[in-house]
Amino acid sequence: MKVYVNDKPVQLLPGTTVRHALVREGRLEELERGKKVYDEWGNELGQDGALSEGVKIIIR
Amino acid sequence: MKRRTSALLPLLLGIALPFFCAPANPIHAGTLDLRILHVNDFHGFAEAYQPLDSREPLGGLAYLAGKVNALRREKPTLLLAAGDMIQGNNWANLSRGASVIEAMNAMRFDAMVLGNHEFDFGQEELNKRLSEAAFPVLGANVERLDRLKPYVIREIGGVRVGIIGIVTEETPVATHPRNVSGLAFLSAAETVEKKLAEMKNRADIVIVLSHIGHAADRALAEKVKGIDVIVGGHSHTRVLKPVRIGDTLIVQAWEHGKALGVLDLAIRKGKVVGHDGRLEEVKPIPGSEDRAMLPLVEKYRQRMDAILGVRLGEAKIDLDGENVRRKETNLGNLVADILRETAKADAAIINGGTIRTSIGRGEIRVKDVYSVLPFDNYVVAIALTGKAIAEALEHGVSGIEEGAGRFPQVAGLTFAYSRSAPKGSRIREISIAGKPLDPEREYSVATNDFLAVGGDGYRSFAEAVKSSKTFSAVGGALMAEKVLYSDSGRWLRDVVVEYIREKGTIAPGTERRITERP
Repeated sequence: MKVYVNDKPVQLLPGTTVRHALVREGRLEELERGKKVYDEWGNELGQDGALSEGVKIIIR
Repeated sequence: MKRRTSALLPLLLGIALPFFCAPANPIHAGTLDLRILHVNDFHGFAEAYQPLDSREPLGGLAYLAGKVNALRREKPTLLLAAGDMIQGNNWANLSRGASVIEAMNAMRFDAMVLGNHEFDFGQEELNKRLSEAAFPVLGANVERLDRLKPYVIREIGGVRVGIIGIVTEETPVATHPRNVSGLAFLSAAETVEKKLAEMKNRADIVIVLSHIGHAADRALAEKVKGIDVIVGGHSHTRVLKPVRIGDTLIVQAWEHGKALGVLDLAIRKGKVVGHDGRLEEVKPIPGSEDRAMLPLVEKYRQRMDAILGVRLGEAKIDLDGENVRRKETNLGNLVADILRETAKADAAIINGGTIRTSIGRGEIRVKDVYSVLPFDNYVVAIALTGKAIAEALEHGVSGIEEGAGRFPQVAGLTFAYSRSAPKGSRIREISIAGKPLDPEREYSVATNDFLAVGGDGYRSFAEAVKSSKTFSAVGGALMAEKVLYSDSGRWLRDVVVEYIREKGTIAPGTERRITERP
């Protein structure tokens, strides 16, 4: 399953979550520093939110 | 007195008759101000907690219920749940979701759609939960689960409200295959189209209660006309204001009961002519709780504590969780062995940092295992080449000087390394099943989901998944060919609990799986 983290393509296991994408990119700790994760429409996402093929998430 | 009454009677009848005798009230038929309250992805979070990115605690079942009660008093209301309610937190898991169903019954939910995680305890347990639910549980695109309803139609104030439930088609790869054995998950869009046709002339407005994720909700609204509202879940999306796609409104209320979705609909002549929606954050403010919910939350918390105190068995020796970041330990071996056995893999590799503490010799209780493995990790197995295994182990020993959590604990393989060699060339011989590792051969390697996605810098697993071709698996959901095992619905700690409960007495040793050379 390919998803995009801040426009960077990331390949993940099927059935994985926002948290897995952040771990994959080594960016989980950024949440502790106040950053949040959003979808491409600007909605905040929970870390356990399911991802699906082609989903774009943004850390900011 | 009598004369006065008689004189007024024609006037009173003249006013009253149009309201009481008209067959369907031509002025007010299909007119309603309806409130939809909704939650999704609750995952059993009965007690408020402070999320990683929050400065204050949020959620709490009693506070959620208090908010529902207050908002329900104001107008006719439907209380809906968009899936993944019964699995996740220990408060739910240790009763296999019964606690959540009891709470939902007490809160008088009107309907719920199944989420993929509702299948995590297996079909037998799911059927028990469905039989306990005092509200309809929906799943129009799930075939051969008899207790599910595809949809319900509720008449409220003369308006017929149809509610269709749909579940993610990816459920077969989002839970263990045994949990969905014999079931089929059909296309959500095609199912909704079919059910809309069935409901034509039977429902004035249609709500799709969806557990397919926000992006898929938007695609559904674009593709299928005739849906008034999609109440969504699965992606844990915090939709602050309703999204409109064509004539369809889409909402979703984040996760874990941290927010309650409120959508007010103005319905005139059977059509939605106006709306106002918002999320209300749920905060544990004293006095705002539904006090009737407190004993229920406490009852299951006490049961949870009792289960955590249950004796599983006995350790004949100390189980070493202190040295897992610098050498082979018997507790590391035990956990790696259980992973390998569970996934029926050739080998297992985990990061020592997964193991957080030791267990002393003597009785082992559930809470001891939960302390050792506090993270919500699950078992995964990936097909790795011998070369990739060597790279993984090389990475694993590259941070030994710093006591890095990536130091490997292994099963089914042995290896030697030299601490004094430069990072990246420390690994010496590696054997699997007593034979030297073949760099070209593919082996099945069990691990946890954290490492499988590249956690602690383990790139080998993630690279293998990246190289995977995909193919169609159960229910049409896409599965990567290099992923040999994945059970996201069962935490590793619970797998270990079951293993120790079954064995009774354990005495794992160290057996030179990892050898340090000069």
